Amino acid sequence: MALPLKYNFANVIVRWRATLATVLGIALTVAVFVLVQALAEGIKKSSAATGDPRNVLVVRKGSTAESSSLVSREQLRTFQYYDEIARNERSEPVISADIIVLANLPRRDGKGEANVLFRGITARGVELRPQVNLVPGLDAQGNALASRWFTPGRREIVVSARLAKRFAHFRIGGSFKSGPATFHVVGWLDGGGSAYDSECWIDADEARSIFDRDMYSSFLIRPRDEASRSNLIARIEGDKRFQLRAESETEYYKKQTLTAKPIQWLGSFLAVAMSIGAVFAAMNTMYAAVGARTREVGTLRVLGFRRRTVLVSFLIEGALLAFIGGLIGCAISLPMNGYTTGTISMETFSETVFAFSITPALLTKGLVFAVLVGIVGTFLPAVRASRLPVIAALKSL
Amino acid sequence: MGATNVVEVRQLTKIYRQGEINVTALNLIDLDIAQGEFLVLMGPSGSGKSTLLHIIAGIDRPTSGECHVQGIDVADLSESRLADWRNQNVGFVFQTFNLIPVLTAHENVELPLLLTRLNRRQRRKQVETALELVGLGDRARHLPRQLSGGQEQRVAIARSIVTDPQLVVADEPTGNLDSHSAHDVLSILQSMSRQAGKTVIMVTHDPKAAAFGSRTVHLEKGELVD
Amino acid sequence: MNAATYIVKNALRNKRRALLSVLSVAASLFLFVMLLVALREMTVPPEDIGSSLRIIARNKVSLAQPLPLKQLAIIEKIPGVEAVTPFSFYGGAYKGEEKFTSFAQFAVDPLRFTAVGVDAKIDPAELQAWFADRTTCIVGVDTAKRYGLKIGDRMRFTGQIYPVDLDLKIAGIYRGTMDDRNVFFHHKYLDEALGDPGTVGTWWLRAASPEEAPRVVERINRAFANTAAEVRAETERAFQLSFVSMWGNIKILIGSICSVVVFTLLLVTVSTMSMAIRERFRELAVLKALGFRRELFAFILAESFALAMTGALLGAGGAWWLFHSLDIPKVTNGIFVSFEVTPRHMGLAFGIAALLGIISAIGPAITVARTSVVQGLRTLD
Repeated sequence: MALPLKYNFANVIVRWRATLATVLGIALTVAVFVLVQALAEGIKKSSAATGDPRNVLVVRKGSTAESSSLVSREQLRTFQYYDEIARNERSEPVISADIIVLANLPRRDGKGEANVLFRGITARGVELRPQVNLVPGLDAQGNALASRWFTPGRREIVVSARLAKRFAHFRIGGSFKSGPATFHVVGWLDGGGSAYDSECWIDADEARSIFDRDMYSSFLIRPRDEASRSNLIARIEGDKRFQLRAESETEYYKKQTLTAKPIQWLGSFLAVAMSIGAVFAAMNTMYAAVGARTREVGTLRVLGFRRRTVLVSFLIEGALLAFIGGLIGCAISLPMNGYTTGTISMETFSETVFAFSITPALLTKGLVFAVLVGIVGTFLPAVRASRLPVIAALKSL
Repeated sequence: MGATNVVEVRQLTKIYRQGEINVTALNLIDLDIAQGEFLVLMGPSGSGKSTLLHIIAGIDRPTSGECHVQGIDVADLSESRLADWRNQNVGFVFQTFNLIPVLTAHENVELPLLLTRLNRRQRRKQVETALELVGLGDRARHLPRQLSGGQEQRVAIARSIVTDPQLVVADEPTGNLDSHSAHDVLSILQSMSRQAGKTVIMVTHDPKAAAFGSRTVHLEKGELVD
Repeated sequence: MNAATYIVKNALRNKRRALLSVLSVAASLFLFVMLLVALREMTVPPEDIGSSLRIIARNKVSLAQPLPLKQLAIIEKIPGVEAVTPFSFYGGAYKGEEKFTSFAQFAVDPLRFTAVGVDAKIDPAELQAWFADRTTCIVGVDTAKRYGLKIGDRMRFTGQIYPVDLDLKIAGIYRGTMDDRNVFFHHKYLDEALGDPGTVGTWWLRAASPEEAPRVVERINRAFANTAAEVRAETERAFQLSFVSMWGNIKILIGSICSVVVFTLLLVTVSTMSMAIRERFRELAVLKALGFRRELFAFILAESFALAMTGALLGAGGAWWLFHSLDIPKVTNGIFVSFEVTPRHMGLAFGIAALLGIISAIGPAITVARTSVVQGLRTLD
């Protein structure tokens, strides 16, 4: 029968001052781990949450992203009347042809510039993306203002509310120059936590004329139903004339992981690096504990408790200590949940915003990690405690 | 008082190495202890009295010779069997009390019972009985630091008898106590032997403490003298 | 026996732990130096005269927007422009490289190109062969070595940005530039494949002198102001730096990682010293009883210092040795070009180690000073 858990728990609490440094060290390690992974999670989440599963996105075969894809009007003319495509009330096929432009714009804090993704889009394109909605924005003075969509034919732009915080002149009523045109900001959009939160929408025809494009970037299509969807995809991809890639919009976005992976790797790497220090600190603390309790351990052995029980007891204590550190680490990282930040996406090469996403699974991982660190660090001291000869412990004065 | 011997020591020798030198702590000891005796081991420091006590109690091993306790040669038991044996058959009282500081009196006394198959209720009953016996039933929830030295030692005695062992060994149990508490503790030990029929072996160098025993044995330089 | 021997003997008492600690310190400092070097590589592009002499002109909208070919005639006439070539980043995937093509391909006008990029060294015969055949290219010696390419071999690329693929024959191999990895081919080849769109990606120019360069930049920007395709010209150096600014706060990122590493270091050294001294309490108490007082602190400090410095030697020294003996571009698959461990990096690493060595000694030294001799003697060994 093991020693009561209360024994371990009480020992950890009673010596809190001595163990503080170790607990904080573990807390910091877990916090860093959780935060960096939350960053990667946030990026993955915003990709995964993008798109309507009914839609099919068509881009040029071989292009790595919409922004480098080029599709032509001939291609559009060829398949726009395909049977598989849904029709709206006016019997028009539900297709949107978009133009992606990257515009280099100054940041709001004055610290340089970054590429922003403009999407030249039509009314149908807006309809095909129900997760994107207008939200109230702010004017230059900071007052709330209602948003509206751009008027076709005008050089108006609706910017992502999240991007508005990061770039100059993005307040409603503001304007900025890109290329030969001056754009007026008429509204803010909210992408519902998807990749659209990193875009600004303008009229497709205006985009074409301003940026001198005769090709589109992509087509977004609504098929009639499920069966039509797979048929459509097969039909478009199978046509040798086109060299196009067609897939479900949600699938396309889910595959955009280039940005998240290196961050995940970084997070794990950092955690391992820090855990070396944490393991040492735990080892130190537990050696101190064992040293302070040699007589106590000896007494337990006299009473009949086995070596292994002593070993396990100390391991539990170390794990408990680390667990508390892990809890603190999780607690201090939680406030960052939902905090938005941005970086350059490795897929589109434009500024992408996303929110730190701290999930219960991630917190659990952090806690498990902490406990592992505790156990690794406690192992040697626990072995030492278990090997203390019974009498030597009694002989101390 | 039964005539059976609880402890039979034959030619017991303990030699240990201190660096490069061999020190003979015990030299060919022969000793019998009958059930219900309150035996006192006396002698100057380094005489081997504590060593003898430790061997009988099963926390040290002799270099040669035999030590039978209730028919079992404790020198022969394996580490783990010895642990079990101690738990059931020996109660130990230390000079420095050795209570676990973070556990209450009740929990301290309960410790040896955690190694038995008794359930919670049964354990509680035995702990309460033991604490009553030493007169500390009302202090069950106190932590050691909330008890006086004498009270701590009494809790230790309760712990030493909670598994109802035949043997109770005490190594200078009054060394850290004032005379009043010492008296209480020694009376309890005495009643263990006289009323409960337990065999008590005590090491001390205080003649006043020795007076509580039923027999005194002297050791000098590892040998019995008389 | 003297003080030094005593210190060393003590430090090596628990060999396993000493080894573990030294290795942890070494690993942390190695990492630290690597981070500093990486930061330098990314934020401070290689210094060469060329980067302040040459200019890149791109569409003001963004790098992704092309420029009209007809701008060439105007640029040539701008005073201060010694040479100019179309310069389009093709950015294709090399067939035969599954994951990530780490070298770039550029479409240029070969004759004009050699007037701008003067540091490249190439066999004149190879250069002429490249000029003569529109379907050929020249490739940097690093990439040639990496894939075992020779003159006459073919290189194929899939278009990831442009909707056409390339099939080029290697006419020559160049060396001597800051980045000997790239492939340069005829812009006319690309134009034909695309159906002559009449655009280029950017213009690459050489100014008459580094002092003249800023003025040339100015003139170019003015020349195309208020036209359909406004131009943003900047020196090559400024251009490289602007790439970095797109990464956002890379300095903060690396800075914070460095803090993490130092934090780990701190924990390791402080814990180790704490453990080491605790083991010897009794002995130190004896020394104290014998009359050693200040010497004790010196012993502890020396041991702590020795631990930290040995780790620094292994870690920072190891990093330095590594970069001196390894061919970095080859090993990192061409991602890093000129890793260099500067004296400043080494100084910083050793400085931090020294500081930690001192800090880690403080705690144990105070404990030893405070504990009375009697208490110390009581502790179990």
